[in-house]
Amino acid sequence: MTTVALTCPSCSGPVSAGDRYCEACGAELACEAPSGPASAASPVLTTAPRAGCRECGGEVAQDGYCTQCGARAVSARDHFSEEPAPWVAGVCDRGIRHQRNEDALALDAEPEPGSRAVMVVCDGVSSSQDCDVASLAAARTARDVLAGSTPRGAGTVAGQVAATVGVLEEAVTAANEAVIATTPAGAPNPPACTFVGAVLDESLLVVGWVGDSRAYWVPDEGEPRLLTIDDSYAAEQVALGVPRAEAEAGPQAHAITRWLGIDAPDHVPRTTSVEVLGPGWVLVCSDGLWNYCSEPGDVASLVHDTVWASTGAGPLELASALVDWANHQGGRDNITVALARAPAAPPPREERAAVEGTAAGALDPTTALPTLEPRQAAYREEGPPDGDVLS
Amino acid sequence: MATFSAEVYQNEFLPDGGTDVHAIVTITCSGAGEAGRSGAGDAAEVVIVDTSGSMGREKIRAAQLAAAAALDQVLDGVWFAVIAGSHQARLAFPEAAQPRLVRMDSYTRSQAQAAVAGLRADGGTAMGTWLTLATRVFASVPGLAQKHAILLTDGINQHESPEDLSAAIESARGQFQCDCRGVGSDWQVAEVRRIATTLLGTVDLIARPEEMSADFERIMRQSMGRGVAEAALRVWAPQGAQVLFVRQVSPTVEDLTTRRQEVNPLTGAYPTGSWGDESRDYHVAVRLSAKGVGQEQLASRVQLAVGDEVVAQGLVKALWSNDDTLTTRIDPAVAHYTGQAELAEAIQDGLAAKASGDADVATAKLGRAVQLAAATGNDEATARLRKIVEIDDAGTGTVRLRRGVNKLDEMALDTASTKTTRVKK
Repeated sequence: MTTVALTCPSCSGPVSAGDRYCEACGAELACEAPSGPASAASPVLTTAPRAGCRECGGEVAQDGYCTQCGARAVSARDHFSEEPAPWVAGVCDRGIRHQRNEDALALDAEPEPGSRAVMVVCDGVSSSQDCDVASLAAARTARDVLAGSTPRGAGTVAGQVAATVGVLEEAVTAANEAVIATTPAGAPNPPACTFVGAVLDESLLVVGWVGDSRAYWVPDEGEPRLLTIDDSYAAEQVALGVPRAEAEAGPQAHAITRWLGIDAPDHVPRTTSVEVLGPGWVLVCSDGLWNYCSEPGDVASLVHDTVWASTGAGPLELASALVDWANHQGGRDNITVALARAPAAPPPREERAAVEGTAAGALDPTTALPTLEPRQAAYREEGPPDGDVLS
Repeated sequence: MATFSAEVYQNEFLPDGGTDVHAIVTITCSGAGEAGRSGAGDAAEVVIVDTSGSMGREKIRAAQLAAAAALDQVLDGVWFAVIAGSHQARLAFPEAAQPRLVRMDSYTRSQAQAAVAGLRADGGTAMGTWLTLATRVFASVPGLAQKHAILLTDGINQHESPEDLSAAIESARGQFQCDCRGVGSDWQVAEVRRIATTLLGTVDLIARPEEMSADFERIMRQSMGRGVAEAALRVWAPQGAQVLFVRQVSPTVEDLTTRRQEVNPLTGAYPTGSWGDESRDYHVAVRLSAKGVGQEQLASRVQLAVGDEVVAQGLVKALWSNDDTLTTRIDPAVAHYTGQAELAEAIQDGLAAKASGDADVATAKLGRAVQLAAATGNDEATARLRKIVEIDDAGTGTVRLRRGVNKLDEMALDTASTKTTRVKK
């Protein structure tokens, strides 16, 4: 990761990533999200936008609302999208209930549809300090590591899976360091976030995660599947046989057991790989979406309905429509949706078919992963300090 | 240096198609300092004592002591005067041909005490003339920042027309603040409340003359503790929105809606008078055009302005949602003060109906008041209501009017009707 010396845009004094206000002049500093495909690594600090109101053109007051129509001025951090290639896109949105967007999104893709895509989503733990800054730093750092390396292994699929998992672990380590870099010394609630990264290389999809952000495979036809298993209390309940809907509605459903941050118990991602036979969608999302639609079958119906409702729309429009849908359900959390369109697969190569017995044998991650013992002491509740909303 | 803060209590979630946003905004002032000592300008106090014949020996003696107690609380350097009121108004201190004020010091204090001790009960009652003289007395010193009066009366305004009183009240509006007290049971609460409400003051009953001194002392001490001479509540609402009402709901209920002075087309200012170290709660209701589910809009900026400077701001928001668990919740503060405002209205309407001999309406209104007092936990109101009605069932508001009610109990219920209890936060 390139280190960029950050300065206050008002007085040019030195500032650090994560500062909300300039120490010297007190100017408000905002984390500017990039417009369009981003290649630069670090969050760019700019002063908070003071442009005219998007609704009526009126002046926006210091309090963040229009002086004429009262519309909330949308900051670049509150809502942004990325579309590194027409077949890969994502939208990251504040939602309705939360005061700021602590989700983050970072994507990369090669232009050829179905060639190579990297999708990273991080969800800031909202009880932690400045996790909006931390999550964006984490997502971008991980994306850059994943985009900067194209592991091919020893030419076999198993080798490629192993090499990709290795890069995912590197990416998560770098993301964890990026979160720690935003952590003020002695912070009582140090910033923390989840991580999910999906690397699609032709028909091989490798996913790594820490926390409860998810990846789904939604083929146009055939059985959709949830590829990740949340590091959460709810997931532990599911593993113990509690029905998913019940477990995810429970009081501790959003208590996550693993996260990135200085106080993380460990940050090694759990990983899985799958051969995706298109056409279909790789969907990576935060709990702002899956809170309203969790079962793979429901997610597939939602995606298919959304596709049906917007014929000819690309991933960007579809991701945006899915975010809108979650907002219509109440928007109780920040919402991030990233989509990659897997085109109709070419006939599987010989060696790919062989994957079924090895890496793809781990397709059902429950069988491949150690059973987690509940670790109550290490739980982090996601939710605002008043505790009336869960992440 | 006075500092202000604003806190907003509301449920910002509106259902699909919902338009009305309600919020309670608590404005708190601290470090107010003392009257006339903030550097913003001088303060002035006028004590207006009823010296009509009905005051008699006992009440005039009590009024003398009360006026003296009030003067004792006036800080050195504050301008002051004493008005003796009957069917006409007379400047009792300072002795002068023209209306004027003098500064308080040890000499003027003893002179004023002597003048007050010489007050005699004689003549009728024309409160409009008292207010008119007070207005002229305050105007005799230009540039005063803070002007406050205490008005004591014991009777009905018999010696001038209601129109004359109204005209005098209107002329005094914005010229000074006035806390009004009625002693005994021969004065009319509604009449005196009109003076107090217009002049941003309080109204209260002093049942027994011997209670007068302590009350006057307290009023004057409180006034001297109001270092912020004048402030206004400003309410901004977005273009196309309608401010349904602006109401002070604590410490007392006062509808401010009609007192709006335009700051700009979207912002109205509502005078609040002076501030000491205290909190006041305001209920603001705004009607918006409904927006789509998922959208957010600022419904109101509620600010406190001292002069042209905004010193505190609370944001009232609207978020449209189709989640019933969010939209159906009524904020406890809004619910509490809505009940308290309705309680005040029910008591006043009930007593008015009772006075005009309409027992059915009086029973219904006071029954509703009993129900609201119970529901909002206003035990003091319940205790006062109990002296006027027999309560059969507080939950349903089933009551019977008592016979032979003490007039003072009825007046105590009336004057206290606007006093609210704070919501338990």
